[in-house]
Amino acid sequence: MATIRLENIKKTYEDGTTVIENLNLDIKDKEFIILVGPSGCGKSTTLRMIAGLEEISDGNLYIGDKRVNDVSPKDRDIAMVFQSYALYPHMSVYKNMAFGLKNRKVPKDEIDRKVKEAAKMLDIEEYLHRKPRALSGGQRQRVALGRAMVREPSVFLLDEPLSNLDAKLRTEMRNRISILHRKLQTTFVYVTHDQTEAMTMADRIVVLKKGEVMQFDTPSVLYNHPKNMFVAGFIGSPQMNFLDTRIEVIKNSYFAVSESFKIRLSERMYDALSLYRNKDVILGIRPDDLHINNGASNENNPEKISAHIDIVEMTGSDYFLYGNTGNQKITAKVTAAVRFNDDTDCELSVDTDKIHIFDKVSEILICD
Amino acid sequence: MNSRKRLNHSISFTFLLFLSVIFLFPIYLVVLNSFKSKFNIVGSPFKFPNEDTFVGLENYANGIRMSDLMPSFLRTLIITVGSVLAIVIFTSMAAWFIVRVKNRATKTIYYLFLFSMIVPFQMIMFAMVSVCSKLGLNSVLGIIPVYLGFGSGMSVFLFSGFIRGLPHEIEEAAMIDGCGPLRTFFTVVFPMLKPTSITVAILNAMWIWNDFLLPYLLLGTQNKTLSVAIQIATQGAYGAIDWGGFMAMLVLAIIPIVIFYLFCQKYIIKGVIDGAVKG
Repeated sequence: MATIRLENIKKTYEDGTTVIENLNLDIKDKEFIILVGPSGCGKSTTLRMIAGLEEISDGNLYIGDKRVNDVSPKDRDIAMVFQSYALYPHMSVYKNMAFGLKNRKVPKDEIDRKVKEAAKMLDIEEYLHRKPRALSGGQRQRVALGRAMVREPSVFLLDEPLSNLDAKLRTEMRNRISILHRKLQTTFVYVTHDQTEAMTMADRIVVLKKGEVMQFDTPSVLYNHPKNMFVAGFIGSPQMNFLDTRIEVIKNSYFAVSESFKIRLSERMYDALSLYRNKDVILGIRPDDLHINNGASNENNPEKISAHIDIVEMTGSDYFLYGNTGNQKITAKVTAAVRFNDDTDCELSVDTDKIHIFDKVSEILICD
Repeated sequence: MNSRKRLNHSISFTFLLFLSVIFLFPIYLVVLNSFKSKFNIVGSPFKFPNEDTFVGLENYANGIRMSDLMPSFLRTLIITVGSVLAIVIFTSMAAWFIVRVKNRATKTIYYLFLFSMIVPFQMIMFAMVSVCSKLGLNSVLGIIPVYLGFGSGMSVFLFSGFIRGLPHEIEEAAMIDGCGPLRTFFTVVFPMLKPTSITVAILNAMWIWNDFLLPYLLLGTQNKTLSVAIQIATQGAYGAIDWGGFMAMLVLAIIPIVIFYLFCQKYIIKGVIDGAVKG
């Protein structure tokens, strides 16, 4: 069990490329932290620095109370699950799982007990004598998890462990990993580019962009109160709608106005928006917060956006509507109970309590 | 399309059959003549042995007696096994280092290894023999490092190609599992190199087993290897050569290496292709 602290971490490669400029993170004991971000944002590099597989150019890394910058990977009391599983191809599943313990001179009967316990937990008991090549992707992934588990490390590092699995298996393994975290009561640091994985598994999520932390908070805070447009756009599927608007004050009421709609904003935003009178801002509305207005006025959501729907995607329980309002793209997620066709005009009512307003230049949240 | 494919196959098959015959015919003649009396070998080398010309294993007995075969066989075995083991172990380690530690020095060393492959032995043989003699390498065990030097160019090349295709994560996993560099190499990397190790072993074993010039120059006639022993046994005035014994010794000399090759040949193609494609 351990806390992890990254203090002013910098990573510059030999060719002079700086991937991480000044990273600060405080990870609590037993927390499940997910590093998420687009390709090249430095999430895997951060994980590899925690593992000791990548040198730290500057700053301090603590696991527990110990500064581990110069401690070799084997002495950091960590275990890692790799994207490619990295199983030893010439060893049986049993030997793969026992290898780390054998190197640490753990008695044979204890190794046997631990390997069999982990195998039982992961449903791989019957494959213990097989070589990795005789296993499916999901089974290999479980062996990789088992190999890390038997070591009972203070910190569990997982580098995109589900990205090679098909969608169905990914959901299953997601649940298994969450259960595993609950059972093991160990600090987990997990890297992924899939925001669904991040939202469903993490206690807290670190959203990274070009080596900088954009926001570090719980999934619900990230979803409901993103600090900037990057986080707002990255978390949530389909992506949040960003609409160019202008703040206008008419009869003491604040409105977000564009060429195709005019929305009266909630009173609680007035203070924050006082500096933005007659200025351009970005209006952020999640597709879930747009509803179909069937002609009748909606008492709860009287504010409307006129839109032309180009394409309707049926996902089972919901429709995704892709279209335009004026010359701006807009996406709405509506329940499949309402039937909808391609290439139609409609009015979308807006849940004004859930609107986010961002500064157009800095892309930072003004109010939500 | 099918008939065209079949035609192509037939042409390839005929061509390969023709090549096989050309390569196997001399071996066939050697085996055939090793069972004939020496006068019949010179007189009618292509004829199959009959009741009058067949001498059974007499040539084999004569050959072994004449050439002092058993000590030479033992020496060749020690040199071949020792050199091949040294080449496989040391060059695989060198290739691993060259591939995984990327800097100017390792790059230069790699190109030096490659360069050593194109330098003909004859160019350096006299200088080398003189240096090796001064260093005391003119003995059965002393020649092993010399073979290691000559065999390392091609072996490092083959191993590097294969190692480049191995995922680095496996070695990183071993590091996290508590291995230092040596244990990582011997318990994780080396077992994965099996196909290339066998290829390297076969190619070097064939060359070292059959080599004549290096042992002749370095070990002389005191510590004869098989090929040197056979050559010396055939020396003498014209007509005094026992061709039957000579043929029999040739057959005995090639048997071990042919068995070794047949035993491991399924790996040779895999090893060469892996190195080539992944390199």
